Amino acid sequence: MERNTLYKESGLTLLLGGCIFLFFALFYPYHLPYQEQFQLFLFTSDYLAETVAKPGGMSEYLGRFITQFFYYPWIGAVLVALLLSLLQRVMAGLCKAFGDPSVYLPLSCIPSLFYWILLCDENMMLSGVVALLLVTVAALFYFSLRPVGVRGLYGFIMIPALYGFAGGTFLVFIGLVIAWELLVKKETGNKWVGLVAAFLLLGVWLPVFTKIWLVQYPLSKLWVGGDFYRFRRILPSVIPLLWATVVIIPVLFRYLPSRKRKRSWVRGIGQVVVLFGITGYLLSANADFRKEEVMKYDYYARHRQWHRIIACADKKTPDAPLSVACLNLALAKEGLLGEKMFSYFQNGPEGLMPTFFIDFTVPMTTSEVYYHLGFINSSKRLVFEAMESIPDYQQSARAVKRLAEGNLIIGEYAVAAKYLKILQQTFVYRKWATATLEVLGDDASIEAHPEWGPLRKYRIRQDFLFSEKEKDMMLGILLQQDLTNRMAHEYLLAYTLLTKNLQSFQPYFSLGSQIDYVTIPKAYQEALLYIWGLTNTDPARSIPYPVSNVVKSRMEAYRNIYTSYPNPEPILKGQFADTYWYYYHFRK
Amino acid sequence: MKFLLGVIGCVCVCLSSCMEQVVNGQILDEVPLLFPDYADVTVPASIAPLNFTVDGEFSKIDVVVTGERGQEIHVQHAREIRFPLKAWQRMLEENAGGALQVSVSVKSDGSWKRYALFSIYVSEYPLDYGLVYRRVVPGYEVYGKMGIYERNLSDFKERPLVENTLIHGCVNCHSFPMGDPSRMSFHIRGEHGGTVLTSGGKAEIYHTKTDQTLASCVYPYWHPSGNYIAYSVNETQQTFHSAQHKRVEVVDWDSDVVVYQVETNELISCPQLKSGSVLETFPAFSPDGGTLYFCSAERKQIPAEYDQIRYSLCSVGFDPVTGSFSQEVDTLVSARELNKSVSFPRPSYDGKYLMYTLLDYGNFSIWHPESDLWLMDLETGETRPLDEVNSNNVDSYHSWSSNSRWFVFSSRRIDGLYTRPYLASIDEQGKISKPFLLPQEYTDYYGNSFYSFNIPEFVTGPVQLDPREVEYKALGKERKPFAYRP
Repeated sequence: MERNTLYKESGLTLLLGGCIFLFFALFYPYHLPYQEQFQLFLFTSDYLAETVAKPGGMSEYLGRFITQFFYYPWIGAVLVALLLSLLQRVMAGLCKAFGDPSVYLPLSCIPSLFYWILLCDENMMLSGVVALLLVTVAALFYFSLRPVGVRGLYGFIMIPALYGFAGGTFLVFIGLVIAWELLVKKETGNKWVGLVAAFLLLGVWLPVFTKIWLVQYPLSKLWVGGDFYRFRRILPSVIPLLWATVVIIPVLFRYLPSRKRKRSWVRGIGQVVVLFGITGYLLSANADFRKEEVMKYDYYARHRQWHRIIACADKKTPDAPLSVACLNLALAKEGLLGEKMFSYFQNGPEGLMPTFFIDFTVPMTTSEVYYHLGFINSSKRLVFEAMESIPDYQQSARAVKRLAEGNLIIGEYAVAAKYLKILQQTFVYRKWATATLEVLGDDASIEAHPEWGPLRKYRIRQDFLFSEKEKDMMLGILLQQDLTNRMAHEYLLAYTLLTKNLQSFQPYFSLGSQIDYVTIPKAYQEALLYIWGLTNTDPARSIPYPVSNVVKSRMEAYRNIYTSYPNPEPILKGQFADTYWYYYHFRK
Repeated sequence: MKFLLGVIGCVCVCLSSCMEQVVNGQILDEVPLLFPDYADVTVPASIAPLNFTVDGEFSKIDVVVTGERGQEIHVQHAREIRFPLKAWQRMLEENAGGALQVSVSVKSDGSWKRYALFSIYVSEYPLDYGLVYRRVVPGYEVYGKMGIYERNLSDFKERPLVENTLIHGCVNCHSFPMGDPSRMSFHIRGEHGGTVLTSGGKAEIYHTKTDQTLASCVYPYWHPSGNYIAYSVNETQQTFHSAQHKRVEVVDWDSDVVVYQVETNELISCPQLKSGSVLETFPAFSPDGGTLYFCSAERKQIPAEYDQIRYSLCSVGFDPVTGSFSQEVDTLVSARELNKSVSFPRPSYDGKYLMYTLLDYGNFSIWHPESDLWLMDLETGETRPLDEVNSNNVDSYHSWSSNSRWFVFSSRRIDGLYTRPYLASIDEQGKISKPFLLPQEYTDYYGNSFYSFNIPEFVTGPVQLDPREVEYKALGKERKPFAYRP
């Protein structure tokens, strides 16, 4: 290869890889650990055997192997960039096998760019990229074989092998080799007819054979093979479209003019600009940055980075229920819930303790709230339900870790040990699991632990049946067990304020007499003053609680606007959106 | 695939090391702590190899098994003991009715330690071909991958009978008439729901809810003639405990017992099994077919009094010729007297015993750590806890082998959450042996598995079921409706 061409090709790949890396590292990083949490990659023969024992199983295995490193977002970004760059290189090889109009080589980026856009969907699995790589590399090797008999033999071996390794993506291999035989190789006689017919027949019968003899899946699923999308019963139509581009683009190279023209580099750059421009547009249309924000809050909550959550909210107040739930949890963990909760958007009790429904994402985040409050059984239930709801039947490393912690806290050591031993067979969690196993059963060490100790102390000990509709009752029981449990008190009051249950606020507030608040938190002062004002004419003077003068004067100003204007909401929103009064009157 | 990996592993082991001689070993007085605990258990001659490992750190484990009637197996491994299948089968066949002596040595810190010998008793009572169980995670409301599987008890082969990868939904409550693999009942829940009945490998799918019954049919039990299946119909609710040690509470708001006549495709019942003020559930026919056992409890306020519901063990006469019931209901175990609750009555097929689960309240014993197995002598009426097999955790669902000399039960004794099948024998004198965990090829199988083994049922041969036929019929809209005979 000419040095100049080599530079151009390498430059193209570097540009592609660099853009992908920067996108996932800087703009979309939290989608990567989101993916990682919904799998549990084990270095065991059982896991390997179970995963590969179905069409597409090997690509799933390799995809999951890579995805486990998404625990570290930057490494994940590097790996995605590498995989998609590799796909581009292989595509370039395939294109050259069909023709040599090197000026059109940027077209070899199309499948990688396509997959880049697809991977913005958090349910698109990396196994699809791996599967494409497997089949395209296999096709590239096929093209290097000269004798037709060897090619035939190789094809007969590789078609079933690729069906096993890459699932339905094996159709790409069949498409590529048939196209190459017909358009490029053009064997004399009828040899190619037999070869093509045999390949097609094999391709048609493989899923049927698998259905009859090997696995219990619907035939439609076996045609697709491989779990390329998290929802196993769905195959987004873009995936077959992508497969088609992998065949069509090399074929195009057969027909594109190969004659070198002046200023071909302009044409090349033009293609790059157009392709990357279209990709940029499609990325902006397909990337879901609202979800990315929720994932960011969840990521920080998962890693107990409470300061970062609050810092994010200070930059832009979150409004998605899960983000708000993470923010409220962070505020409570920092002892700021009563002080600052109305400085941010609140969307009612759903932003405090979201209601359970069958899903694999929401309960996972909600379990963080229950866990840190001390509702250990409820936390375990939510992560278990989340794990069982994962549509592609995988286990969840995050859930298993939480189950281990939860069982450790409540003293269920045998089942905690089971989970820890499983986590010891992972790459990411091995060290933590081994260290945790060492303290398992050692009550003194657990009670001295900065997180497990307080949770063991505060955990629910009085049994009752969980009730979504009586969360205040549950929080009350939690607080009654230990009246110094500040987080329970803050959540109880926050729940009461968010449900606008003013009748219960005062008695619940009194339950916190043993908690060493330096001053009454702002939201409680506002609520107390408002409640007092409902039955007293001059609340600022007569209120028996130490409410600050700032709160009193703001209450007076708020009251004046509220009672003077027919539509006071816009004005109050500008000046008093950070108060409980505004929430009470204007938030539904 | 697993086999292939095993072969590769064996080859690597063979290439890397030859069997080391146990020399200058320290002799210990104690029996090794095994997992699974197979010391002094009684097993059938047809059981798969009892592969095990030893608790603690070691670099090598050496085991010599000597049959008192001949044969010896010597195995050495770095991690666990896996007996060669053929040699194991030969040894057990030759020693049926006798005992095996097991010598275990482990090498740690460069020196060998030899534990005291223990025995494995080989029963002369044969065991059925296999077990059928449902593998499902011990979850709350949601389930992922699950299925009903058949396990050959002579080796480690497991065959999926029906998995929910095939039919999106839940499959449960499989049942066979006295272990007959040619007839089966199981339910599919979810969007493709129905009850599947098979006969001679042909499957039919039914809609079992009628206008006269509370709900679809749930817990099944076949009549020995194969012409009737008793079902409970239950309106059930799940709730969740908040404090430690308990997780799920499954409560029946209402329930009745009905009997399905296969030939006429009709459900039949009687006021004794369908009382409005009483909850009836868990039916089971006696082996002569003349008695229907069931559990019965007074209705209580739900959920306030969920922990006050206690089921008695009752029976009612049944005439299989006319499909009619006697008027009188006998109470065999009174919940009021015991202040306990009975579930899963299971008479042995020889008519001598009735095994049941006893728990503090309610009927869903798998979520009650206090659940224990009890045995009633049907000739004397005497009833006792099965201390020989019970543990300090859940011991629950049980079923008898076709010759009534073996029983299998579900236990959560290993970790308190995941249900595992244990087998034990009972001889003519009623002597019960130490139970043993269903052997697996690899000793870390249970540790690595996220599944519970529910409803273990013996079968006398490979189950005749075509999953593709089940899929075809389940995905179709047609359901044969049960009729109700007033």
